[in-house]
Amino acid sequence: MASIDLDKMLAKIKSTQWALSDIDWEAPGAELITEEQWPKLKEFMADLMWIEHVGARAFAALAKKAPTDTLREIYTYFHAEEQRHANAEMALMRRWGMLDGEEIPEPNVNLRIIIEWLDRFADEMPVYVLGTVVPMLEIALDGALCTFLLESVKDPVCHQAFEKINDDESRHLGVGFTVMEMQGHSASYIKMVQMMARVMDPRLILGIASYMPLLNKMRDNVIAMGLPEEKLYKAMNKFERIGGRTEDGRRNPWFQLIKFHGRWVTNRSNKLYHVPVDGLVKLTGMVPRRALPAVPSWVKELTWQPTSTH
Amino acid sequence: MSDSPANKKTAPRKAAVRKRSARARKPAEKKPTPVTPVSVLIIGAGFAGLGMAIRLKQAGIDDFVILERASAVGGTWRDNQYPGAACDIPSNLYSYSFAPNPDWSRSFSGSGEILDYIHHLVSEFDLQKHIRFEKNVTDLCFDEGKGIWTATTDRQETFAGRAAIMAQGPLSNCSFPAITGIEDFQGHKIHSARWDHDYDFAGKRVAVIGTGASGIQIIPELVKVAGHVKVFQRTPGWVLPRPDFTTPQWNKALFRKLPASQQAMRNLLYWTHESMALAVIWNSPLTRIAERLARLHLRRQVKDRWLRRQLTPDFTIGCKRVLVSNDYYPALQKDNAKLITWPIARISEQGIRTVEGIEHQVDCIVFATGFDVSHSGTPFPVRGRNGRLLGDEWQGGAQAYKSINVSGYPNLFMTFGPNSGPGHNSALVYMESQLDYALKGIRKILAEDLKILDVKESVQHQYNKGIQKRLSRTNWNSGCKSWYLTADGFNATMYPGFATQYAAQMADFEEADYETA
Ligand SMILES: Cc1cc2nc3c(=O)[nH]c(=O)nc-3n(C[C@H](O)[C@H](O)[C@H](O)COP(=O)(O)OP(=O)(O)OC[C@H]3O[C@@H](n4cnc5c(N)ncnc54)[C@H](O)[C@@H]3O)c2cc1C
Ligand SMILES: [Fe+2]
Ligand SMILES: [Fe+2]
Repeated sequence: MASIDLDKMLAKIKSTQWALSDIDWEAPGAELITEEQWPKLKEFMADLMWIEHVGARAFAALAKKAPTDTLREIYTYFHAEEQRHANAEMALMRRWGMLDGEEIPEPNVNLRIIIEWLDRFADEMPVYVLGTVVPMLEIALDGALCTFLLESVKDPVCHQAFEKINDDESRHLGVGFTVMEMQGHSASYIKMVQMMARVMDPRLILGIASYMPLLNKMRDNVIAMGLPEEKLYKAMNKFERIGGRTEDGRRNPWFQLIKFHGRWVTNRSNKLYHVPVDGLVKLTGMVPRRALPAVPSWVKELTWQPTSTH
Repeated sequence: MSDSPANKKTAPRKAAVRKRSARARKPAEKKPTPVTPVSVLIIGAGFAGLGMAIRLKQAGIDDFVILERASAVGGTWRDNQYPGAACDIPSNLYSYSFAPNPDWSRSFSGSGEILDYIHHLVSEFDLQKHIRFEKNVTDLCFDEGKGIWTATTDRQETFAGRAAIMAQGPLSNCSFPAITGIEDFQGHKIHSARWDHDYDFAGKRVAVIGTGASGIQIIPELVKVAGHVKVFQRTPGWVLPRPDFTTPQWNKALFRKLPASQQAMRNLLYWTHESMALAVIWNSPLTRIAERLARLHLRRQVKDRWLRRQLTPDFTIGCKRVLVSNDYYPALQKDNAKLITWPIARISEQGIRTVEGIEHQVDCIVFATGFDVSHSGTPFPVRGRNGRLLGDEWQGGAQAYKSINVSGYPNLFMTFGPNSGPGHNSALVYMESQLDYALKGIRKILAEDLKILDVKESVQHQYNKGIQKRLSRTNWNSGCKSWYLTADGFNATMYPGFATQYAAQMADFEEADYETA
């Protein structure tokens, strides 16, 4: 059974919109970023902002596949809201002098691979794949990382922005887990087998292959910023706890799969997983940027400017 | 869903109906001056009302009045004068066969030319003297004892007729949409159907909300003159290429010398559009072909993958009105244009805020947001026998007999009534058969001096059972939201079949279907 009423949720989403111009990006407090923090924060924010943007694209794919009109509209909003997070985080970076002029930050290679993957295959993925992967990403990389960020950054404008972002995120997670439960509920044995067969799909393998190094890279980022990595793992365990709190949720095979993956990530002693994946991180770090294809045009819609006049 | 919701729960509602109508009828009863009834009272001077007038005249009935709320004729084509306004059915088919125009300058004429044609109809058939302008009908009431319909205007004038024609148009009312903050906007607001010809777009930053039939006609024109145009799209529609061309002089001369050649052209166009029904109305192999054609059109005109994705509909073609345009996609890709698919969060003082958090500041917002379409009400109270109110009976969705009569409302004919909408062919083709059907009824009333010509309830019920059953198999009822459907998904708008089938159903006037007195 769905744990939240999606129609009410949609109404709530529509009535709680915010815009970049609700925040005074010039307000005092930027100086609270320490010199020591600055370079690591810059890299962290750039990754975070790209993750939001990648999440946005995943929601766009979900919107195409949504089984009901309500869910389609919800995902259409979430698509835009994740973009808003990316835009707001860029506005913060600009405030902290982390943007080179008007430029959007360069995505790291893992992200470039994920962007490429999303652009080519996301729309073809069945709704239950993205519907499970996205909440995982949200909890681990987005929701949780934001909390860590607030612990180390004192700038009040940053807190103001993330308060709004986190409000959005709690709704994303609420919907995400409800949908996972809905899917688990309808999954018969045959369907489960079919779903598992999907794992063999080379496009999906490609997606997973780019997703796994992303998690490890973010773990490295977190540690570089001096945040205890246990916190990230705790957040990922939250996925297991909430996603698996009901029978229906647990029955969703994708939940099971992602859950196991989460366990590997958080278990440092699992060499079988971490050695190759860390290797992948290193490897992808060596891919020359020029070898990557041009970014798709949806990436160019990012902006840190609260108003657009032309 | 095949059964009519209105028929199921009439009993408990009737008492309430009577109470309400008794109260609402009061002002009508106050009227002292008895008005001499004309034979036919027509409401609306658009294509339908004027067409009815012409058919009456041609039948030798000259005793009629047309009430028009505006100060000019033309309806749709008087109101929709936005840049680029044109019909999307070829003009040779989008005109009356009983009044052909050999001079159409293009295959799809612009709004101005269509309006000229309407003015030409008025003078050619000497209709001016029948039209009463600035008569906004606010109430239509039947007196069963006398067999007379009385129309009351907003200025409390009354007009009476033995038969009444409701030709007030399906798309004649519009308003700004209820978007949060719309009243805060300090710039200029224009509705596509109430164009502001004095506003100078040169160099302006313009937002267009809506990408339906009107939007895709306006946008290419605005992109030519405005400084910048941002197009806010909620759902993309299917767009087919439009084979538009100017009519060569020899062609006009031919039509003039040899009217049969124009009739032949009309027939050809008619059958071409009839065959489109197979693609548009039902989900058939032709539907796939039409979708493929639209996709091909999109791929040819739009190279960017993401933009193409934004413009690709996710509903079956025909579920909503199919759009035709050659210049819409190219216009969106001009340097001074941009398609925005983020949902609108609100309108602010200076522009439109979308959910990605950005405020798009503009000088002017053009609302191409369509019309206030009523599926379940009537545009003004319509009171039939025993004071019954049509709006109440239609609460669950409008229904009529053959789209034109409603049981309990004798001597009343409606054009563009419930389930008369064409999805694939000219509205005027449908209209012509409605007018001729009404004419048969009117002739009967006058010839037999009837007070009552009322379709039997059982006949109407049977008819609608069939209609809803057939509708359930169409693309319109295939799951997308459109103005064709009520919020509950009841289709009170479209006719589920070929225009030919519709014409056949309207061709015979079955006296046994009616109660007379
Ligand atoms: C932009 C646009 C493009 C279109 N293109 C096509 C096309 O290509 N092909 C096609 O088949 N159809 C098209 N249509 C549909 C079009 O509406 C019909 O084809 C046709 O013009 C309708 O004619 P009508 O006389 O029924 O209504 P209208 O033209 O709307 O006329 C109704 C008249 O009644 C008057 N009126 C309304 N209420 C009252 C009242 N209470 N009291 C007194 N008078 C009143 C109005 O002022 C108006 O003059 C288009 C519609 C629009 C809006
Ligand atoms: Fe986010
Ligand atoms: Fe999110």
